[in-house]
Formats: sequence, structure tokens, C-alpha cells
Amino acid sequence: MAHTDAVTVLLPAFEEAERIVEVLRAVAQAVPGAQLVVVDDGSRDATAEVARRAGARVLRHPFNLGYGAALQTGYKDALARGAMWLVQMDADGQHDAADLEALLRPLREDRCDLVIGSRFVAPSDYEMGALRRTGRRLFELLGRLSGLEVSDPTSGFQAMNRRVLALYGEDFFPADYPDIDVLVMARRRGIRILEVPVSMRASPRRSTLHGGLRVPYYAYKMLLSWWAAVGRRRRP
Amino acid sequence: MNPQDPRLGELRELFLAAPESTQVQIMAWIAAGSLFVLVAWLVRRRSLTAEYTPIWMGLALGLVVASVDLTVLRALARTLGAWTLSSTVFFLGEVFLVAICLNYAVRISQTGLRVRKLAQETAILRGRLEELEARGRPDGSAQLPAG
Repeated sequence: MAHTDAVTVLLPAFEEAERIVEVLRAVAQAVPGAQLVVVDDGSRDATAEVARRAGARVLRHPFNLGYGAALQTGYKDALARGAMWLVQMDADGQHDAADLEALLRPLREDRCDLVIGSRFVAPSDYEMGALRRTGRRLFELLGRLSGLEVSDPTSGFQAMNRRVLALYGEDFFPADYPDIDVLVMARRRGIRILEVPVSMRASPRRSTLHGGLRVPYYAYKMLLSWWAAVGRRRRP
Repeated sequence: MNPQDPRLGELRELFLAAPESTQVQIMAWIAAGSLFVLVAWLVRRRSLTAEYTPIWMGLALGLVVASVDLTVLRALARTLGAWTLSSTVFFLGEVFLVAICLNYAVRISQTGLRVRKLAQETAILRGRLEELEARGRPDGSAQLPAG
């Protein structure tokens, strides 16, 4: 263990050179002393250099591995470095750094192992497209069917303790989109999950899920992964 | 046509008992020989590693054996309800291809997972190395060449 950083803020990034400095600045102000880690998922722009200059510890994938893999690299690094808590948030400014403390509080009070920042536990003006809304409802239903009450299973704004970091470092964690399947797996492994209200802005980038066969592939993959997660034997 | 007509059974037996032509046997030997030579050549030029060859060599051998003595193939055709030996060979070929594709899909999945772990490990180690280098420099900056 190199040294202990109590809180790590993890930002997986792919070609975010234009936005990431502002996000890092906001995070540094919101959680002073936190270790900022940017996992650059094979960007071709200056994301890594810009983030490093802004004071972040940067881990660079040699090539693009996917959003889930970028998160997992951050989990493995944080676990090895002895971080107690980790908050993951998007590098495009979609998540509000002002909510970071709200996510960390339940962990510090040991009320849960995993905190999900939800757009839907409190009234919110966040607008979703019809496709995303349908997807969210479907995942919510799948969650309920497997005993998981989560209103925002696709939220990437999450905080976790070392127990979750160890779990998410395992091979089952998907390289592309970790959503309801991962939450179901966490629940089945005894992880205590809590939701807190957060505000989110619409992503300035066009969703990577739009276009072509990605949406049906995502739905199919999620259903299969959910089924596999439900079918696996429970482990303590 | 009545599917229960006993003449159909007799006709099927006639098909199955018909001797295969010499041309068919020669074609099977050529196919088996070509497969054997191709696999050996690929191994020699290191495009194929020896550990992946047994299944293809086994297939070549199976082709030769099946074309020399048709007893096993006839028994298989009767079991499968096929009318001709050639349709049985095609069916078995399809089953073989599906099985081999599935096998390689599993191998690719495992290899993909290993590549991902290696890339993650590389990223983490590179991060540590850059950190250590930064500590050793007066201005605190560190950057390894990209790639």
C-alpha cells in the first residue's frame, strides 16, 4: 500500500480535454484533500495531460477498453492504495460536485456500503428521452424482481466503501455498461445499498448509446447479465 | 404421399446401401490430405500453434477413415434418420462448425478478459511509475511517452 487516501474521487474519461479541468476544480473545492483519479480510457486528445496539470492522478489505458473497464481500473487502484471511500462521477460535468458530500455521508456513518446518487428519489427537473425512460423503468422492474428497490439503476454517480471496491474488482464486472446487473450482484453478495437525491445536468455529449443497433444490444445484454446475476449462487 | 408407406423405408435402405462412387472417396482423401498439409504448413510458418492442431488433424483422419469404411457412417445415417450418406456428412459438418465456433467464442472471451486485466494493470503500474518519477524531479512533473 503506497499511502492512504481516505476519499478518492474517480472520473473515467474519454476525450474530455475540454471539460475535465472545470470538473476537477469543482471536485477539489467540494472535497478538499480528496485524491482525484482520472482514468483516461485511451483518449486521442489531451485529456490525460490536461487532467494531470489540474492536479489529478492519471491512469491511462493503452487503448479504449470501455466505461466499465475504466471504472474498474480506478477501483483496483484505489483498493491497492488503501482508499477508504471512493466516489465515481462523470468527467463531462453531468454530475454536480456539490452533491459529493451527500454521497459520502452515509458511508462515513457506516449506514451502507454503496450509495447511489438518484435523480428520482426527490422531485427533479431532469429530463429523459422516451427511450431512456423506458429503459429505466425496465431496469427498475428487473431490480424489483430480484429484490432490489432502486429508483435510478443507471446512475453513474455512486460512492462506495472498500467492501464494494473489492467486489467490483472481480471478473464479473462488465467492461462496457455496469448497471442493474452489477447492483443485483452486489445485493446478492450482501452489499447494503442506499439512494440519496442528487441533481444532474444533461450530458453535453451525445449519448454513446444512441444510434444503430446499440440500444437493442444494450437491452439484450442487460437482460442476459441480469438473468446471469440472479442465477448465480448467493455468496456471503 | 403417405409417410407411413412401407415402400419409403425400402427406398431409404436402398439409398443407404448404395455404394459410394470412387470419385467421392478420392475427393474425401484429397480434402483430408489438403487439410493435413495446410495445418502442417500453418504450424511451420507459425500462424497456428501446435496446441490448436489436434482437432483439425483429427478431422482429416476422420475423413479418411469414413471414406475408406462406410459402416460407421451408414450406422450414423440410420440413427439420425438420414436418407443419404452425403447428407449425414453435411449435417455432421455443420454440428462440428457450430461446436468449434462456440469453443472459439469461449476462448476469445477468456482472452478478452485477460487483455483487459493486463491493460488495467499496465495503466496502474504506469501511474505509479510516473508518480515515482515525479518525486525524483525538482519541478515535480513526470510524463512517460504515450503508447
